[in-house]
Amino acid sequence: MDPNETRLTDGVRLPAPTAWPVVLAFGLTLVFAGLLTTAAVSLLGAVFCLAGCVGWFRQVLPHERHEMVPAPPVPAPAVTSRTEVERIEIAREIHRARIPIEIYPVAAGLKGGLAGSVAMAALAMLYGLLSRGSVWYPINLLSSIVFADALHLPETYLTSFHAVLLLVAALLHLVTSVLVGLLYGVMLPMFPRRPILLGGLIGPVLWSGLLYATLGFINPLLNQRIDWRWFVASQIGYGVVAGLVVVRQQRVRTRQFMPFAVLAGLEVPGILEGKEEERSEPQ
Amino acid sequence: MTIPQTLPSSPWTLPSRGRVGMFCFIAAEASIFTIFVVAYLFYLGKSVSGPTPREVLELPIFSSVCLLSSSLTIHLAVEFLRKGKSGAFRAAWGLTLLLGAIFLAATGLEWRRLIVEKGLTISTNLFGTTYYSLVGLHASHVTGGLIGLAVVMVLALAGKVRPEHSGPVDVLSLYWHFVDAVWVVVFTVVYVIGR
Amino acid sequence: MSSESMPIAGAGNLPGAARRVWLETLHEWLITVDHKKLGLMYIGYALFFLVVGGIEATIIRIQLAVPHAHFVSPEVFNRMFTMHGTTMIFFVAMPVLFGFANYLVPLMIGARDMAFPRLNAFSFWMTAFGGLLLYFSFLGGDGLYGAGSAPDVGWWAYAPLTSKAFSRGHSTDYWTVSLLASGFGTIGTAVNLVATILSMRCRGMTLGKMPLLAWLNLVMSGMLLFTITPLTAAQIMLMVDRYLDGHFFDTHAGGSAAIWMHFFWIFGHPEVYVLIIPCFAFVSEIVPVFSRKPIFGYPVMVAATVAIGGVSMSVWAHHMYTIGMTSYENAFFVLTTLAVGVPTGIKIFNWLGTMWGGKIRYAPPMMFCLGFLFQFLIAGLTGIMLGSAPFDWQLGNSYFVVAHFHYVIVGGILFALFAAFYYWYPKMTGRMLNDTLGKWHFWVFLIGFHLTFDFMHIPGLLGMPRRIYTYEPGRGWAIWNMIATIGVAFQIAGILIFVFNLVHSYFRGRVAGDDPWDAWTLEWATSSPPAACNFAVLPEVRSRRPLWDLKHPEDPDWKYE
Repeated sequence: MDPNETRLTDGVRLPAPTAWPVVLAFGLTLVFAGLLTTAAVSLLGAVFCLAGCVGWFRQVLPHERHEMVPAPPVPAPAVTSRTEVERIEIAREIHRARIPIEIYPVAAGLKGGLAGSVAMAALAMLYGLLSRGSVWYPINLLSSIVFADALHLPETYLTSFHAVLLLVAALLHLVTSVLVGLLYGVMLPMFPRRPILLGGLIGPVLWSGLLYATLGFINPLLNQRIDWRWFVASQIGYGVVAGLVVVRQQRVRTRQFMPFAVLAGLEVPGILEGKEEERSEPQ
Repeated sequence: MTIPQTLPSSPWTLPSRGRVGMFCFIAAEASIFTIFVVAYLFYLGKSVSGPTPREVLELPIFSSVCLLSSSLTIHLAVEFLRKGKSGAFRAAWGLTLLLGAIFLAATGLEWRRLIVEKGLTISTNLFGTTYYSLVGLHASHVTGGLIGLAVVMVLALAGKVRPEHSGPVDVLSLYWHFVDAVWVVVFTVVYVIGR
Repeated sequence: MSSESMPIAGAGNLPGAARRVWLETLHEWLITVDHKKLGLMYIGYALFFLVVGGIEATIIRIQLAVPHAHFVSPEVFNRMFTMHGTTMIFFVAMPVLFGFANYLVPLMIGARDMAFPRLNAFSFWMTAFGGLLLYFSFLGGDGLYGAGSAPDVGWWAYAPLTSKAFSRGHSTDYWTVSLLASGFGTIGTAVNLVATILSMRCRGMTLGKMPLLAWLNLVMSGMLLFTITPLTAAQIMLMVDRYLDGHFFDTHAGGSAAIWMHFFWIFGHPEVYVLIIPCFAFVSEIVPVFSRKPIFGYPVMVAATVAIGGVSMSVWAHHMYTIGMTSYENAFFVLTTLAVGVPTGIKIFNWLGTMWGGKIRYAPPMMFCLGFLFQFLIAGLTGIMLGSAPFDWQLGNSYFVVAHFHYVIVGGILFALFAAFYYWYPKMTGRMLNDTLGKWHFWVFLIGFHLTFDFMHIPGLLGMPRRIYTYEPGRGWAIWNMIATIGVAFQIAGILIFVFNLVHSYFRGRVAGDDPWDAWTLEWATSSPPAACNFAVLPEVRSRRPLWDLKHPEDPDWKYE
């Protein structure tokens, strides 16, 4: 029954042509058309439908009708006139490399993000100390993303210590820093020429520019309170430190083309049979 | 073209097309029912005139039990067919058919009561519209399933259903299970939440 | 369009014999269950309706070319934009994509036919008869205005315009019933494609080694199961309202007009992705062959497609910002709408990555793919703009929206389709499409497309609402509408070149051979056109590019996948 199994030398079994599907479709359409015209059309359509159903049923049961068609000649095996293959040189020693060849381990991004977060926090608190005489000021501003009402309160509120606001700000700061650090860990190997220029300077400046352009619409109250020179400075501080920490980590090779058994850490003889294991769907 | 068959002929099995096809069909049907159920829930209590569900609906316990137990009997029937016990298959299949018919008849009687005694038709109010559409959609699926069951029953009585046909019969039983499962949802929505 | 076996025996000079041959051929096509013939019938049927829908579009554009025009009456204008939208979506785009899927999927997965060949025939005929029933409305029935009763409620048929009070006669019923009928065909095709792709693959073709075209059609069919059915359900409700005096969408009896919008767009928006995903599939097959490189990031392409399929199911209400939803609903649909752009962006980068460093051949299939890439990008960007609720509050229902989705459908879908025609025509007929004519087609159509749809954004920004019959002079809209209408002439010229090429090349085209593009997927391993059983011996594959493995035995893919 399964057409995959038909491997006959003298002919191939194919489903036999049949008129019943078109009869059934025509009948169904007539049934519908009757709704738009007169009931008699629907009645005629019902007759067609019944005939189509019965005929179709007898086509497939108890056995599907087949017809034998002569097997076509086997075409010449596929060849190409362009046998020369030119390669994009990425890594000489790896045949068919997949880029990137080397990546930073996940820990590099984590470390970079954490180091950057310290640098950024230090700069921000310095700003608070110099401009408002309170290290809590930038912390409270950050947590006002969540506690929007804080911005309506008098400035003394923003410059004093609040445990909840500190907790929220620390959480926001750490999560964002680690996420961006991980992003650096992924991105920096893709821009191998000047990673610090990109990650430390261009990235933070672009990000600050985007915020500068849009924050006025998104959160005008917060926008009034931001000193953009210090903002850019702390972003760059983060970027440079995080970038430096990331690029100082040891790169590791991606484990491309290794058989599943090796990736899984199995030390077994006859590793090439392990290739078969890999045939299981990667998705 | 022949790809050189250098690989040792490892077993190559694929899912049965009948079952895959039926599961797809069930997925499609399920989303039709979802839309009707959403409409029913959305319009609950939005009718501008009576009668309300609480006034007219009664719990169809007996017919629901019949329909749900038919899922069990059809499962047993397919198992019997696989094992080649054709007598037991016919009995279980006939029982399924009977239980389904009881359900359909009970629905018919309920509709008769609602229309004749309570004066609720599909155009009376929003409740009538959604109730008859949702329950009617399910009843039409039961009817379709019963026709399929009856055809198999006739063939079985003629001795033409043999263990090698358990594939198509199994696919039909999938559809019947689906119809039963939908009733659980319809029952919950119409008779439990909606009342 | 086919050179399938014509019964030659007895075809003498007698006119009776010639007629018999003609009748036999007709009969053969009528009862066929062969996926290739059904695919070709789908494509031919869609091309016919493309011309019909194109004529309707031309009438709309002529009417709008100058202010205060009276080229057609307002009633006819309403019918034209309704029929244009309905035809193009349901009877052009879906059938032509199903046609290609029907033709290509079994060949590319190394199968002899679809999983359910008879269901396949039934699905085609349902779609075909559904379209004919819709167009019968021009002739049959007693319309409100005397001249037939073609539907005139817009292709999304918002309630309460469809209620009996506002739409008398059967015009709306024609729309409902014919879409219901063709919807059955669509569900059948979707079931069939999923079952074929999961259950009919040749030996060795695991899911991870399937061509992307098969993967993307699998996702598309899976989506269809969940998207066409809400439309079917809503159509049934509308019929209950219109035939049995139900109250689903009757606001006097407590019904809701907004819920029709929800149900329609639960179908309507995923539908756009149902149409574009097979086009992604064409591009994903053509770009690697014409860049002479394997597709970049195959697993990511699959994952992105599945992600698009999933996320696009929850974006529908971005068509409804202007009806007044809560801010939470608005925020949810803005976020999902913007999120669906991410996997789409990944795809664009993967195609660029495929081209990077490749030896690009600028043949017509590749040119249309490049056009697709740029235009689809712009369409996606205006989509992001319209996906933001505040922007949409300004421009919803304006010509900006019309320009946006025509950029998707013409600039994206149609260009990818043209690429597919140029790429697979040799396989379907055994002859190449003419290259020079193809380039003329590309450039003329490209100019026409940009004239019409680039400049259509501007009247939208200037406040011109869609679906208006005519407009006052002096609003700054006239010049842009004139340019858009001039662009239509270029597009018609491009289509004429294309149709001429299709017909001319069928008789006079260069003989293609089995593998004219030096490609890598299984359909090029069989003869052109393929025999009824597709393959003399069913193939067995070991990698995603089985023909590469054959052509380069010294460096096969399967060692590295």
